[in-house]
Amino acid sequence: MNDKSLIMSRRMFLRGTGLALALPWLETFAASSRGKDETPRRFLSVYHPDGVGLPLKSDPAWKDWSWFPRGNEKDFELTKVLEVLETLRSEVTIYSGLSHPAARNVHGHSNADQYLTGAPIGGQGPYKNTISVDQVIAEHAGEFTRHASLVMSTNGGVGGPRGAQTQSFNREGRPVPAMNKPKQIFDLLFVTSGKDAAARLARSKSALDFLIANTRSLERQLSNHDQQTLSQYLDAVRDTELKLEKAQKWINTPIPQVDTRNLHLDAEPKEARLYFQTMYELVYLAFLSDSTRVATFQLGRENGEGPHDLLSLAVGLGGAHGLTHAVKNPGGWQNLGTYNRYQAEEFGRFVQKLKDTPEPNGRGNMLDNTFAMHGSASSSFHLSRNYPIISAGGKNLGFTNGRYLKFGKGNEDNQAGAGIASDAGWTSKMEVEELPLSKLFVTVLQRLGVETDSFGGESGTLTKV
Amino acid sequence: MKLPRNALLLMLGTAWTLLAADGQQAPISLEAAREQGRLKSRFLKATKDVAKSTDVIPKANVAFFAGSVGPILKKSCLACHGPEKSKGRLRIDQLNPDLLSGPDVERWREIFAALSKSEMPPEDEPNYALADADRARIVDWLTEELNAASLVRRNSKGHSSFRRLTNYEYNYALQDLLGLPFPPPNQLPPETASEDGFKNSSELLQMSAMQFDTYREMGLKALRRATVIGERPQAVTYVISMQDEMDKALSGKETKASEKATRKSKNAGTKQLLLHRETGESIQYSAGKAMPRTEAVAGPTPAVSPVVLVLPRSGELKLDLDRFLPDEGTMRVRIRAGRSSMTPDEHASLRLMFSAHTSNNANFSQVVSEHDIAVTVPAEHPQFIQFDIPLSDIQRNPFRKLNTTFPRRDEFLHIQNVSNASGGEEPLRVLIDYIEISAPFYEQWPPKSHTDIFIESKNKSDEQTYGREVLAHFLRRAWRRPLAAQEVNEFMTLFANYRPGFPTFEEAMVEVLAIALATPEFLYLTQRVTGNETKSPAKISELELASRLALFLWSSIPDDELLKLAEHGKFREPSVLTAQVKRMLADPRSRRFSQNFVEQWLGLDRMDSVTHVTDSALRGAMQEEPIAFFGEVLRHNHSIMDFIHSDYAVVNERLAAHYQIPKVFGPDFRKVAITPQSNRGGLLTCAAVMTMNSDGKDSHPLKRGIWMLKRILDDPPPPPPPNVPQVDLTNPEILKMTLKERIADHRNKPACNSCHSRIDPWGIAFENYDALGAFRTSIKNKPVDATSELFNRQTLAGIDGLKQYLLTDRQDQFARAMVHKLTAYALGRPLSFADSADIDSLTTQFRRRDDRLGDLIHLIVTSNIFNSK
Repeated sequence: MNDKSLIMSRRMFLRGTGLALALPWLETFAASSRGKDETPRRFLSVYHPDGVGLPLKSDPAWKDWSWFPRGNEKDFELTKVLEVLETLRSEVTIYSGLSHPAARNVHGHSNADQYLTGAPIGGQGPYKNTISVDQVIAEHAGEFTRHASLVMSTNGGVGGPRGAQTQSFNREGRPVPAMNKPKQIFDLLFVTSGKDAAARLARSKSALDFLIANTRSLERQLSNHDQQTLSQYLDAVRDTELKLEKAQKWINTPIPQVDTRNLHLDAEPKEARLYFQTMYELVYLAFLSDSTRVATFQLGRENGEGPHDLLSLAVGLGGAHGLTHAVKNPGGWQNLGTYNRYQAEEFGRFVQKLKDTPEPNGRGNMLDNTFAMHGSASSSFHLSRNYPIISAGGKNLGFTNGRYLKFGKGNEDNQAGAGIASDAGWTSKMEVEELPLSKLFVTVLQRLGVETDSFGGESGTLTKV
Repeated sequence: MKLPRNALLLMLGTAWTLLAADGQQAPISLEAAREQGRLKSRFLKATKDVAKSTDVIPKANVAFFAGSVGPILKKSCLACHGPEKSKGRLRIDQLNPDLLSGPDVERWREIFAALSKSEMPPEDEPNYALADADRARIVDWLTEELNAASLVRRNSKGHSSFRRLTNYEYNYALQDLLGLPFPPPNQLPPETASEDGFKNSSELLQMSAMQFDTYREMGLKALRRATVIGERPQAVTYVISMQDEMDKALSGKETKASEKATRKSKNAGTKQLLLHRETGESIQYSAGKAMPRTEAVAGPTPAVSPVVLVLPRSGELKLDLDRFLPDEGTMRVRIRAGRSSMTPDEHASLRLMFSAHTSNNANFSQVVSEHDIAVTVPAEHPQFIQFDIPLSDIQRNPFRKLNTTFPRRDEFLHIQNVSNASGGEEPLRVLIDYIEISAPFYEQWPPKSHTDIFIESKNKSDEQTYGREVLAHFLRRAWRRPLAAQEVNEFMTLFANYRPGFPTFEEAMVEVLAIALATPEFLYLTQRVTGNETKSPAKISELELASRLALFLWSSIPDDELLKLAEHGKFREPSVLTAQVKRMLADPRSRRFSQNFVEQWLGLDRMDSVTHVTDSALRGAMQEEPIAFFGEVLRHNHSIMDFIHSDYAVVNERLAAHYQIPKVFGPDFRKVAITPQSNRGGLLTCAAVMTMNSDGKDSHPLKRGIWMLKRILDDPPPPPPPNVPQVDLTNPEILKMTLKERIADHRNKPACNSCHSRIDPWGIAFENYDALGAFRTSIKNKPVDATSELFNRQTLAGIDGLKQYLLTDRQDQFARAMVHKLTAYALGRPLSFADSADIDSLTTQFRRRDDRLGDLIHLIVTSNIFNSK
């Protein structure tokens, strides 16, 4: 893409997003193109609770409302649930046969916690989680941006053990609180409040100076050998100083200006469509302004109740969680399928927007440099197996889309656990073979530039991906 | 001087050969073996205290080599280790016999090891057999020369004890320094263990920016926890009186009459009830909802009530505390309880769990009491049992502050009876009449941890003067030395810089103190170079000695008493030092020494990755046993030969059941006499050792052999060569073999033999112990074959044979290994050849004191090596 088209398309997206960007942002673009930074590599994970519709083949609803596509890797056919992604077919990949081994016999309602971590959190008793894949990426990509990651959910906060309201967990396995108010997210991204931060930084700076002076005076009283040992400490302090300088730089860098006139920052979950689209818009803006390169978004909580369970109002249906329990009622499969279709539609809209936006400071369009995934830790009713996962983009990262990738053995037609509406499903012995989802995460980590060959206790990648 | 020694060695050598003549040991008792073995000690025959000869510059005795040792080596060794063949890449004819200045000391040490363990020359080479007198001559010469060579190198050793604190030491130091009731939650990355298994080894204790950040964060958090701001917070108090509960239950419910009638029903002994002890009236009861009361905890405790909660074995009272517990601080739980009967074979303890159930399938529950607390008094005279729980460190219900009722906001406290009460007419039950829960609980206000930092002073109103006082007081303890005025001034400059950013003196000062906790003076064990170091290695200062000693025996920083003695230059006086060591070992903090040393020495953290122990009580007991055993030997100053074999075990009920030792009741570990039939005694057959050295299904002789050599005998086998052929499990012939046959098959491959013949036999001797360390006499209906033959043709007949051999022939090796391990741990650095003269000297003194563990601690603490840089 040459310079001229870059300018052109930037104007186009200004109109296309329904947002007007003030001029200073253009300068920020220019500023961030300096230095060692390369084309951004981004990661987004969208999580929806309660799984998808998986009727039996013998059920009349199977043809239209079974979530998984039919056919093979290239020549697959989307059902009514995912046909909203047909126009993006060449940009998406759909997966089957993946799940976290430790979750396969745990009630699906407990498992939003481990979708991005793969930790064996179990169904009751003491609770311990591990770092989520997005936070591993954030540790790596976070050094290029003002915010290491953007963690969002409709419900906000951390939720309870085995009832997470965030998809992100830190190195110690503790939940990273999610934001759920568009205004609050917007303010974090685009409104300065650096006064406290500046004072804190100044104190940290004087603490480090003090520590260096103090260490120097100890150093003079040590043997040569011990001075060598102590030099590691000095290096650690200096590395911390560098980090501070970077934080200082961000404080001094003007925050991108965004005109909020067409953003609905007061939208609430019960205004489902508006809220949902606003949240996606915020991810888009965060990526576009390179405020962060990592985001997670959880739609509702498992076993939902209350206003946050009402995204399904967008398609005129009652509580989303209830839809999974009512699949055997007249029109039940269709209702659940319709809601899943709506989720896919919004994801598709976001993907399309990334595709339509040229990469501000790099190759291709934004989608080419973003791995965006959408999925759940359940497929059928309360059943944490055969996770329904869609990914989009990442062409420049090495992902080849337009495929339906089936993993494992014995469940090529996705009938294992299909049609169930009781807890007999998740307590049953697993008869088919599935591969660990963490292997996909290893692939993703590597392609996003994290040097590792294992994640969540699994090593190795998925070679087909 | 030399002659009688040689003669003795000669005699001993002969006795040894007689014993091992036909490869079979005479079947003697292990006690007799221990006595016989002691007579053979090389250290006990040593006629001078080697370490004292430091002032004389030793010279190499090359003449004796030329006249005596050289010709013997030529005769017995040259054929395989010479110009024709050079097995093990050793050419005996090319070694420099000057060990003091020559380059071949390491090779000579290997030769010394092979000869003294009778591994060379090989038994199947009769033409090159080494006469005992000749062997003794070489070993004797090498002993002297190696010792001299070590002394010469002592001054140029490459390892230093300067190191940062380990994670656990850092945690204890913070806890002790700040007087915190609980260790602060540790977020530091795990440590790497040294070759010896130690995590406090100077060269492996790294520092990174991430760690540095964590230190700063943890230090500040711990300080904020130790100090308070403002007025005493109003405590939330729950009071549950069983009298009230019964009144509540009985009022308004007519159905209770029928329940009253059932009070004499058959299974009354296992039911959970509210019982009026005088009227016999009872009613079922399992869960209560407690609303907080506003009156202070200190309110009068009611008299003992006749109405009690009857908690049978595994019974649980689940209290709904709603959502009123504070976020932080200590929750004190007081339970007035007694036993329904005092039968000695039954025990009951209380345990606390905490839980929440926020929505379907979103729940957690965890044990929050650190230890179960035994109920020991009769119900007629109940006593309070008290738990302190850190509310900010346990999993809480994150929804407790919601304004809506879903997800659910309640938090639950469970009081459980952990007991072994068994059936019968009247099994033991716990009777509780009164429970009090209060949070945040403070013994006093402001708490002692606060006033220990913000000390009493007449200058409190003068921030400059008072600031200096606070800093000087705090820094002396944190840095383990008094500070110069200038050093305090530097902190005051920083304080002046911080002060405007904080509303109170205390808050700003806490920030400054947190920086002191991130300095190397706190994080590292320092040793300063002083101007007048004439001798090398130089002595450490008394203050440095106090820190080293505190880390050794308490895994923490010195207390005020140690600091005072060191400041006044009185610490190194032998009587003072000895008295202090005694005091420190008697202090509860010395439990940290037993735990950390034993865990690292034996590699017990491998138990953490074992998945085949599913009973958590058994797992806990397994992990505790070696620590408890070590503690027992230490407390009673027993011989360390008890680690090889003892006529007692240290077990609790769960482990005794596993070992089929009868009549042990209760969760506490205690010394129990055992018979030979129990096949226990010593550390080698501890269930933990056997379990972690198994493959999850069965015993693993190779792992057990390596463990023996590495951990017990300090003789680690070399790592496997890079091109080691794998056992081919696709070969049906191999698949058919038993594990022992498979190992034998592997060992018989020439490439594998030289190492495996030194490892496998040790492990095969343990074949009577299965993957959980239980004793067995058959494997898959075949009798267990636990007999093996060592490299030197020594037969080991099962565990008794192994113990007998160790006791008769390897006492010196084990004693020296123990000295080596303990000294390496005490110094926090790896030992090298330069230290071996010191270790030999310590071993000699140790063996003279009948190998007593307590004495060894004193010997190490007063030794040159422990007092030197």
